Amino acid sequence: MARFLPLEVTDVQHDTRDAVVVTLRPRPEDAARFAFIQGQYLTFRRAFDGEELRRSYSICAGLDEGLLKVGIKRVDGGAFSTWANGNLAPGTVLEAMPPMGNFHAPLDKTVGRHYLGFAGGSGITPVLSILKTVLSREPKSRFTLVYANRQMASIMFREELEDLKNTYLGRLSVIHVLEAEGQEIDLFTGLVDAEKMAALFTHWVDPEDVDLAFICGPEPMMLTIARSLRDHGLDETQIKFELFASGQPGRAKHKAVSKAADSGAACEASVTLDGATRSFRMPKSGQSLLDAALSNNMDAPFACKAGVCSTCRAKVLEGEVEMHTNHALEDYEVRQGYVLTCQCYPLSDTLVVSYDQ
Amino acid sequence: MTDMSIEDYLAHGGKLTSPGNVPARYRGELLRLMASFVDSELAASAGFAETINDAEGIKSRIAAARIVLEKADHAERVLKIMAEFGVDTARYEGVHPWAARIDRHADIGAQRQGGDMRLSVFHYPLEGWVDAVVMNVLQGLAAGVQINEMAKVSYQPLAEVFRAIAPVEARHAELGAEGLSHIVATEEGHEAAEASLAYWRPRVAAGFGAVNSNRYERLSRMGLRHQTNEAMLAEWTAAVDAQLADLSLI
Repeated sequence: MARFLPLEVTDVQHDTRDAVVVTLRPRPEDAARFAFIQGQYLTFRRAFDGEELRRSYSICAGLDEGLLKVGIKRVDGGAFSTWANGNLAPGTVLEAMPPMGNFHAPLDKTVGRHYLGFAGGSGITPVLSILKTVLSREPKSRFTLVYANRQMASIMFREELEDLKNTYLGRLSVIHVLEAEGQEIDLFTGLVDAEKMAALFTHWVDPEDVDLAFICGPEPMMLTIARSLRDHGLDETQIKFELFASGQPGRAKHKAVSKAADSGAACEASVTLDGATRSFRMPKSGQSLLDAALSNNMDAPFACKAGVCSTCRAKVLEGEVEMHTNHALEDYEVRQGYVLTCQCYPLSDTLVVSYDQ
Repeated sequence: MTDMSIEDYLAHGGKLTSPGNVPARYRGELLRLMASFVDSELAASAGFAETINDAEGIKSRIAAARIVLEKADHAERVLKIMAEFGVDTARYEGVHPWAARIDRHADIGAQRQGGDMRLSVFHYPLEGWVDAVVMNVLQGLAAGVQINEMAKVSYQPLAEVFRAIAPVEARHAELGAEGLSHIVATEEGHEAAEASLAYWRPRVAAGFGAVNSNRYERLSRMGLRHQTNEAMLAEWTAAVDAQLADLSLI
């Protein structure tokens, strides 16, 4: 089960107007747990108005920097990123889980590879970690970074990238693509689309020469780039993606619980799955909510039926249930109304549950 | 530039990369898919363990033991991904009796049994060495087709695990074919192999699921499926026919 550990903020740099780079230090006894692989992320948690929010931010340090650093860009309406941009200072203690993520490839100091990195906005953070690590650990390898931003002022790590180009002369190329600002060469203005990718492969990069590509950015950009890479001969094993946790809402919503009278022996359950809602009566004991849904011909997801695997997770929107066993959901998920339906028995006379949220 | 729903992104072939960015229904289907694989591998490993002592000669013993070991290893690799979704792996490993089998002539079709998500074929008992080898050849070829399909899933960390284990699983099927070629060299062995083929072939075929499955459409929109059950069954049938022709078993 995931475990949160304290990290002390030791430095905060305002990198652009709305992004901070935060250096963190684990307690000595936790140092080994925070040893990371380039491209991994940290998940932080913090309570806002009594409600726990979790946010993941990629580590932007290379393996050889001896530091743990994350970049946090402020998102409009984002509770955590806004708070972090305005309030973090040396001495603040944050809570984070040990590094996770699979956005990396094994290093080999004997080979000379050509890496291609694509980053959109704050998608630069994991790519920067990979890029720095590759340049220092694989002396024969090269890295070409295509970096898309709205405008010059919003480019994170601009100076650091310039410094890296000087340090690793000839091994790092950076191509800035700016959406809202014209540049001398057309290729570098606008969005990264199929046409730009074709031009990139005609004038700047020989696709046959590319060993691995890393992409981190907004969804449409990732799709466009991946399609173009495949069109130019790269296969699935050569393309690595990292998608931000954009599926999470900006603010955790309070769970709606109606305190209905719970007198009867049966419950009116209303269950939503794949956008369709079905209502049925079920007993308050003897049959789990999952089994009731299944016996009403709903194709509800499940696997172990023992409260361990969490495949059958759903959210209670109204009413109350009792969960007999829970070895999978964490406290904060339970507080938000999530339940393991294989272990759930209704307590209230009505129940509204969704597998879609 | 960012106005794209996760559903649209997936429908266009997008990849997801961490538990933090999967939608609720995707999460359920992904976990179901992983549980089915883990349960099948654990049941296969447990079932095959008993046949090690039936193996004739050291090479066969090593082959059987290796299959037992590697299938458990593959289960563990996928379980590690499930752990990132909150699954309690230590408990999961003991949640069902993986070595348990039903009566050899019970007919459960393609039905899962309770919360045990192993493919139905892994509920049937093996009867001795020849039977185990034949089952391994047929199911090994099926696993090849199924793992190739799963190597395309839109959850990138899982696709990577499947791509890594595909050649090892393919080797298990090859070991089976090597074993079977020794078995059919004698008339007695040939007969026994034919009897086992008749028993296992329909049971392995059932593992490809229903024709015209209505779940396929939904899973395919999520990038969790790419080939229909029918197409996969046809691919397996062709592979089996070719393999059996090589061994003059057709």
